[in-house]
Amino acid sequence: MFFLRICLMAGRSLQANLMRSILACLGVIIGVAAVVSAMAILEGSSRDMISRIETLGADQVFVLNGTSEREGGRAVAQMSLTPEDSEALANLSSVITAVPESARAAQIKYFEKNQSIQLLATNENYTIVNDYKSIRGRVLTSNDVIGGRKYCVLGYKVAEKLFGDTPAVGMRVRIEGMGFDVIGVMEKKGFLGTRDVDTQVIIPVTTGLERLFGTKYVQMIAVQAIDSSDLDGTMQEVKRCLRREHNIRAGKGDDFQIITREQVTSNVKDMISLFAIVLYSIAGISLVVGGIGIMNIMLVSVTERTKEIGVRMAVGARRLDILVQFVIEAGVISVLGGALGVLLGYAFTDLLENVTQILKTYMTTRGISWALGMAIATGLLSGIYPAYRASALDPVEALRYE
Amino acid sequence: MIEADELFKLYRMGDSIVRALDGVSLHVQAGEFVSITGASGSGKSTLMHILGCLDRPTRGAYRLRGQLLNNMGDSQLASVRNKHIGFVFQTFNLIQRTLAVDNVAVPLVYGRMSETRRAAMAALDKVGLAHRAKHRPNELSGGERQRVAIARAIVNNPSLILADEPTGNLDTRTGEQIMEIFRSLNATGTTIILVTHEMDVAVQARRIVRMRDGKIVTDEMLDEARRAALLSETVSVG
Repeated sequence: MFFLRICLMAGRSLQANLMRSILACLGVIIGVAAVVSAMAILEGSSRDMISRIETLGADQVFVLNGTSEREGGRAVAQMSLTPEDSEALANLSSVITAVPESARAAQIKYFEKNQSIQLLATNENYTIVNDYKSIRGRVLTSNDVIGGRKYCVLGYKVAEKLFGDTPAVGMRVRIEGMGFDVIGVMEKKGFLGTRDVDTQVIIPVTTGLERLFGTKYVQMIAVQAIDSSDLDGTMQEVKRCLRREHNIRAGKGDDFQIITREQVTSNVKDMISLFAIVLYSIAGISLVVGGIGIMNIMLVSVTERTKEIGVRMAVGARRLDILVQFVIEAGVISVLGGALGVLLGYAFTDLLENVTQILKTYMTTRGISWALGMAIATGLLSGIYPAYRASALDPVEALRYE
Repeated sequence: MIEADELFKLYRMGDSIVRALDGVSLHVQAGEFVSITGASGSGKSTLMHILGCLDRPTRGAYRLRGQLLNNMGDSQLASVRNKHIGFVFQTFNLIQRTLAVDNVAVPLVYGRMSETRRAAMAALDKVGLAHRAKHRPNELSGGERQRVAIARAIVNNPSLILADEPTGNLDTRTGEQIMEIFRSLNATGTTIILVTHEMDVAVQARRIVRMRDGKIVTDEMLDEARRAALLSETVSVG
């Protein structure tokens, strides 16, 4: 009951100095909005990335080029995977098929129309493994790959932007200055793994590698296992096969690495938590600044209300009562600021998502309660010192204060 | 009611020691109406602060209602102020931008009372300001503000009211109204100690204590003849 009345009194004095209270709130509002936005962006992008990774088959293992330690400890890529490795892997007993993949950014040109694309050099199994179909013309066949034909298959958006309503199949385009015949247009698919395949153009790995990528090595080989419950067995077989293909002697390390979807997910999560530390530090600093703002305003308020404090003491307020009252004032500021900050953060992330169209955000109640809790803790902590100053005043001196 | 014996209050000011109170003894019975008067620096405010439990004497014993207050802690003193003493100040000292009724209720809140609104309204009614309960101090005249302050002082039914120059910021006629309220409070049994340097206000009490340099110089009961004499004395001096 007493506590409630003290809260009411605190509310009244904040209301009596509305402008100052708003200014005191402002720091907390911005701090909480920063924390809430940071959490929403992190949660959103992590969910987004993980859902993209989930588009990768759970029955696949991914073979990447190895890294080797140079002197000085810096890891450098050790290119070792070839399209021939992919052929060898496809013939293993625990493997359905293997897909070599190399991707780079490139320019595609159709007369005067120019488009930035992701160029993917792969084989005929890419579309099969990913259940990715053409809507016009056809996809790559093994003949296209064996023959090293200058054929390309356009992603949905690429075709739309270059050709609009006119037919694309049969037309000749130039990719990085090299002529290709369009043999098909893919369906609208969105993300496959970390790539937006709608802005991708597929060419045979035999055609692309040396001339467009300047290397005989591929970036990755996706291997589809027969038994998704025994990925470990498949990984062992893949490992033995590649060591044989690469003539690696016993005792020497691999010049490649094999990972599963789970490992990709956990790598991404590691990366995100690193990112989180940075983002939360910045958001946390703005909350601390907000707390300093409260402390500043509360100190001013204590000085300005010295006489009032003296009067309160004269009519029977104990030192503890005064302390509690000022801490509660700081608490009310931080609760209000926190609530407004959540709203502002919500509005901000919404705006961010709509303006950028790429950034995904996601609000969790856990994130909001964290931000609110931190705001209240900040408010109370920064309220304690001014409140102590108020409660330590000598009543006679305080009454005399003008 | 009040038994103050040999009170000293000493301050160190640089190298010298200021004797704000220099051996003051004062006994006041319940129901008395006493003026304490003297020039500024005579120690009357210091005495009032000690009698009001806002300050402690350097030396000497102070008993209020038979209770020795010398060794009480801050929160015990706060509780004594809350329950037994009502303060009225020269500058009213109402809390700004807070309704009259809420100002009056402040002592009740710190006294952990319930039904604060009703008691506050009753106190406002006693000073004839119930109709101004929902106004803020800046919407009230000086006399009205002082009446709200008196309502705040009496809301806990204290046995002692300490008034420090209560008419100092008011015109003569309004000051008269305030004094009338004190007289009627006194008539219902409340002990009143009035600190003032204005003789025409001081003589309205039934007993007058005159101070100079931290000491009591005279302490006398007043009748009509003495009142007239004191007033003419001030006029001739002034």
